[in-house]
Amino acid sequence: MLRYILQRLSLLPLSLFLLSLVCFALLQLTPDDPVRRLLPDDEARLSSDDPNAYDRSYRAAAASLGYDRPAFYFTLQNAALPDTLYRIARPKERAVLRTFTLRTGNWPAVENYYRILKELAWTVRSEDRIETSTILRRLLLQEDFDRTKATIFDLKDDPTTAPLQTAFQALENTEQRANLLLPALHWHGTNNQYHAWISRLLRGDLGVSLNDRRPVTAKIGRALKWTALLNGLAILLIYLISIPTGLYMAGYRDSSFDRITTVGLFILFGIPSFWVATLLTNFFTTPAFGMDYFPSMGFGKLPEGASIWEVVRIRAAHLFLPVLCMAYPCWAYVSRHLRRSSIHELNKAYIKTARLKGLSRSAILWKHVLRNASFPIITLLASILPALLAGSVLIERIFNLPGMGQLLYDAALTRDWPVVIIVVLLNGLLTAAGLLLADLAYAFADPRVRLNGTKPSAS
Amino acid sequence: MRKKGWLRRASIAWLLGLLLVATFADFLANDRPLIAKVDGETRFPVLHEYGTALGLARPYQPIVRNWKKTETAWALWPLVPYAAGATDLKNANFKSPFDAQETGPRARHHLGTDKLGRDVLAGLVAGSRVAIFVGVGSLLISLLIGIPLGGVAGFFGNDGLRGTRARWWGRSIGGILGLLYASVSLLPFFRVENLGLTVLLLILGFLLGGWLLSLLLRLIPFFRKPTNFPADSIFLQMVELFVNIPGLVLLIALLAAINQPSLWVIVIVIGVLRWPHIARHLRAELLRIRNLPYIEAARVSGLGQWRILFYHALPNALGPLLIVSCFGLGGAILLEAFLSFLGIGVPTDEVTWGSLLRASRSRPDAWWLAVFPGLLLTFTVLAAKALGEQD
Repeated sequence: MLRYILQRLSLLPLSLFLLSLVCFALLQLTPDDPVRRLLPDDEARLSSDDPNAYDRSYRAAAASLGYDRPAFYFTLQNAALPDTLYRIARPKERAVLRTFTLRTGNWPAVENYYRILKELAWTVRSEDRIETSTILRRLLLQEDFDRTKATIFDLKDDPTTAPLQTAFQALENTEQRANLLLPALHWHGTNNQYHAWISRLLRGDLGVSLNDRRPVTAKIGRALKWTALLNGLAILLIYLISIPTGLYMAGYRDSSFDRITTVGLFILFGIPSFWVATLLTNFFTTPAFGMDYFPSMGFGKLPEGASIWEVVRIRAAHLFLPVLCMAYPCWAYVSRHLRRSSIHELNKAYIKTARLKGLSRSAILWKHVLRNASFPIITLLASILPALLAGSVLIERIFNLPGMGQLLYDAALTRDWPVVIIVVLLNGLLTAAGLLLADLAYAFADPRVRLNGTKPSAS
Repeated sequence: MRKKGWLRRASIAWLLGLLLVATFADFLANDRPLIAKVDGETRFPVLHEYGTALGLARPYQPIVRNWKKTETAWALWPLVPYAAGATDLKNANFKSPFDAQETGPRARHHLGTDKLGRDVLAGLVAGSRVAIFVGVGSLLISLLIGIPLGGVAGFFGNDGLRGTRARWWGRSIGGILGLLYASVSLLPFFRVENLGLTVLLLILGFLLGGWLLSLLLRLIPFFRKPTNFPADSIFLQMVELFVNIPGLVLLIALLAAINQPSLWVIVIVIGVLRWPHIARHLRAELLRIRNLPYIEAARVSGLGQWRILFYHALPNALGPLLIVSCFGLGGAILLEAFLSFLGIGVPTDEVTWGSLLRASRSRPDAWWLAVFPGLLLTFTVLAAKALGEQD
């Protein structure tokens, strides 16, 4: 048993590590520029008035965020690219240099061209040559080589751009494509962005939100409380309904009760909960159809010094519909599992003994069958939990509850990456932990699992 | 649950019907006629649109901008003479199906309109096209990944694939190195920019790298020893890693990261996230099949392993697999509705069932916006689940 646990546990860090890599890659691939978001608006104005000063403050901001370091422990890239490319802080600038180098294979020429272009773009006085300076500044971020070529060709009447013309000519004439055929592997050591990020994460520092600069921990803590309440109540409701249903379905197998419930549960299982939630909010929380029975949004406001009953009443009114919407799709799932395992138990000899003793059917079901059949139900919890967490994104969105789902949605829409990534990681952790718990519980119940290393159903 | 024959048939009929509606969506709901006679010339406006899009035909001259205001000698209109997303300001501001509508001689908006007078029925037809596209597309992608992986793992298990160490180590490590080399150096060297060529070059790099390294390794005696390739263990670990990914949450994060939302991205992401379901089922199926007498007989008669797998074992496993994958179809359609309901990742000009549902939230008393798309979605999901039910 211990060996099995260790074997399963050893995979968990690996999947979490991979998930963190995926999240980090996501952070890197996001098209917008977090450094620019950090800079105040005045600085953005500087970019047109005094690009040099803007460049300096940009560099400082990038360094403060750690963006002047390489992204990962190593880079595998084309040998034509310099190994210090990461020091160029602005992602767009870096992209231009990369494309040009990969096109010509001659880094020194590209560097020379770009330096001259930069100087020109900043020294051409905007008063006398307004056209040229805007074009040149646009060229700084122009990734398309052929388009750049065309633009530079158009500028050849302007004598101020002569050095640029020669530099570009040189770049084109000294192509060293053979350089491109070699790959290069650079090792950067631990001074990299991923290492810094993951070690901060492990120390418990989750970073600050890009939107309001509040710590992510505080935001998530507040949201997690509500999501936990919501999910806890939903799980309670799931078991409250599906345990009796499943038991009696097994006890009165093939009766009309069994058949009707099976069909009913199947249909409930198929109706998308976000549609039901939309209908419920439309019909019962707005005055549109004269059935405004429930308060519409949020968790409700508690009056000063409310008694415990009042608190429960207000919260219950707000929570009833969302919890119902989260719980009903799982009823079919849980009760059918319970039905199956109960039928399995009901066919055993000890049930016959109990019946011969004269116990009533209810007593048999609740006292004997449930106890033996309930094990799979407990392990089901582990597989329901991730689904519930994912489902709460929609339910919280529809009922406007300030939980994790809403937090994820808002953060994703406003591209608040520190928050999004942490929510994804947290979800991954919970999903993995849930599945792990389920597997371990299976292994406890069924020794065959341990011996095969796989679930018996799969082989 | 016993399988009821009529339920199965009804489910298949519903899904096939949806497929038909999706395929012929342009001929069912469109704001131009199917056939019309204008100025003595017979035109096929809808069909011709396809021709021009494919570059087979030139647009009709003179161009008709608004068919509804054009004088025609006669015209055959589609069943729903409105296009999804086309506004009809005369009937704007949420006209109910039973309200008085100012449509003139043309058909009513049978299922009502939304804020800008867009026809709900036409939106449903267009939405079915999106749903089928996402459902079938992502299913195909997960089949594409799941069938080879699950097939090899299930059929060969841990002891079915024998070969020298040089072969396994060389092919896996050399293949990865070749792939990396192709992406880092060969792509810029040959200035490959189109997608098909890129994929071709990457595959070539993989094969070539694997072949070269295994040739090299064969020189070392240690690597000449024959071993089993643990296909099944590797497969199970991969599945294990994948099921730990919180799919929906990651999907939201991924889609928000992408600047230009496109249905293709959704299709690919859903397909990639869902392959373990397919592969697992196929593996279980093949574990059963590989011990059947006819496979034994094929082995004895000297057929090659791969030939047995592809010609004899897989075809037998595909039937049950397709039924199970219907389950996935329903899931993918639901996920698409879910995403467009949230407004994440789906292009805003695309009318989908989810986007109609979302529109209903801004106007609760427009029940027709909420009820009809939800019903379609429910029937589709139920049909897929009823078909995919295993026991």
